[in-house]
Amino acid sequence: MDRPPEKPLPIPAPESTPFWEAAQRRELALPFCRRCDQFFTPPAARCPLCLEDDLQWRGVSGRGQVFSYTTYHRAYHPAYRDSLPYVVALVQLEEGPRLVSNIVGCSPHDVHCDMPVEVTYEQRGRAVIPQFAPAR
Amino acid sequence: MVPGRCAIVGVGASKIGEVPGNSPLTLQVDAISDALDDAGLDVGDVDGLIVRGPDDLYCYHQRVGQRLGINPRFATTLDSGGASQALGVGLAALAIDAGWCSTVVCGYARDGWSRTRSRKLGPSTEAKSSTSMQVALVPQQQQAREFGPEYGFFGAAAMHALGATRHMHLYGTRKQDMGAVAVAFREHASRNPVAQRREPLTLDDYMSARKVVHPFNVLDCSLLTDGAGAVVVTSADRARSLARRPVYIQGVGSANNHQGWFSDEHMTTTAARPSGEQAYAAAGLGPRDIDTVQLYDCFTYMVIVQLEDYGFCAKGEGGAFVSSGALRLDGQLPANTSGGELSEGHVEGMLQIVEAVRQLRGDHPADRQVPDAETALVSGHGGNTVCHATLILSR
Repeated sequence: MDRPPEKPLPIPAPESTPFWEAAQRRELALPFCRRCDQFFTPPAARCPLCLEDDLQWRGVSGRGQVFSYTTYHRAYHPAYRDSLPYVVALVQLEEGPRLVSNIVGCSPHDVHCDMPVEVTYEQRGRAVIPQFAPAR
Repeated sequence: MVPGRCAIVGVGASKIGEVPGNSPLTLQVDAISDALDDAGLDVGDVDGLIVRGPDDLYCYHQRVGQRLGINPRFATTLDSGGASQALGVGLAALAIDAGWCSTVVCGYARDGWSRTRSRKLGPSTEAKSSTSMQVALVPQQQQAREFGPEYGFFGAAAMHALGATRHMHLYGTRKQDMGAVAVAFREHASRNPVAQRREPLTLDDYMSARKVVHPFNVLDCSLLTDGAGAVVVTSADRARSLARRPVYIQGVGSANNHQGWFSDEHMTTTAARPSGEQAYAAAGLGPRDIDTVQLYDCFTYMVIVQLEDYGFCAKGEGGAFVSSGALRLDGQLPANTSGGELSEGHVEGMLQIVEAVRQLRGDHPADRQVPDAETALVSGHGGNTVCHATLILSR
């Protein structure tokens, strides 16, 4: 039997590269605008509120809550067929921004809105993919 | 834009459903030809062209114009997904009012069924055909390269499902409420001889349908369709000299939540709200004045949230509203009366505009006609899930 195709790796845009480099260090980081005193997503070269380009990448705690989620029952990509059913969630980090990720470490049936979660990291080939699991 | 200064004077469509062997351009010209016949106009009368087509064809409006044999004074291709079609009619009215052109064709065409079907049936390994299915369901131009594929996050269904899950959490919206939308629109399609899906559908059928992405099953999702629609817009003055009863553009709205579907509360209070407020204000009307709605129904959830955002019921009450039977032809607010994208066919909002015009003309046989329909609201939604446009039309 053929090996199933591998799950995709991210192809970072230049402005997202620090996010994926931080993930390699098992850290979660986002761009931070000092003038607006807040993080923002998606990563960009300028703050979307004030257009300041003197940004700083800072670490976030990795803690958050499930803002919403969906469970895939159908494979849109052959590499995910063996993972069905799996959860894609929008996680609201405690610092404010929201990130798309998977919820791992529990049954899809146990996932619910407002569920507390914390970041975990998956090694996939040469990349490290941040995921979220129920907070201990 | 002054209400009633422009009107839709012709509507048309191509064959809808499974129409293999036809490019979107061919279907588009079929629909435009149909609309011009309906208006009693010739292609030579057309001096404006506003279209949307496949994302992978550059300067699509030039290709359409070439097949029509015209050199239109004003032409453009729009890129707001399913908001483009209603927005296009609004832009047509602006252009006519500004004196840029006098008679505008607006249209959209797609080969949604053929594009998916032919790849699935092609000779290939299982892996290749499955990759093709993903590619077919998500046009390449819309495929992300990060913050998506590495999470198995693909497709419009999952984007909208995230909104539905949040709405269920905040307001107690139920699967049965989404099912009520699917059942109502299938009932309407069953009376429409050209609808793509006409077989009877009960709420029990809906509740046991195959799951796609929670909370959606296959019946929560719009169809894969080959087809095109087109309308002809001109000034009210010109319209009076033409054969068909004009349908006047009383109000146009548009809004774009470009911060993103995931930002703020955009998933559960959408751009339909500001777009609707603008259209109502322009028309000098409110929700109570609307006799029928033709809403952008890419997914059942979007109907529920738009009904709230357009003020037909309070925020959070959309589920109860649809489950009360309000959307049926004999209900309080007949909706998507030819079957919508859920059952007539998904031509990205174009058929909703066509159906609104037919209802306001009183064209339908009694079993499909909203009695005394004088005012209709049409919505369009799309463009990375956040662009929206509204038309308020009247006899």
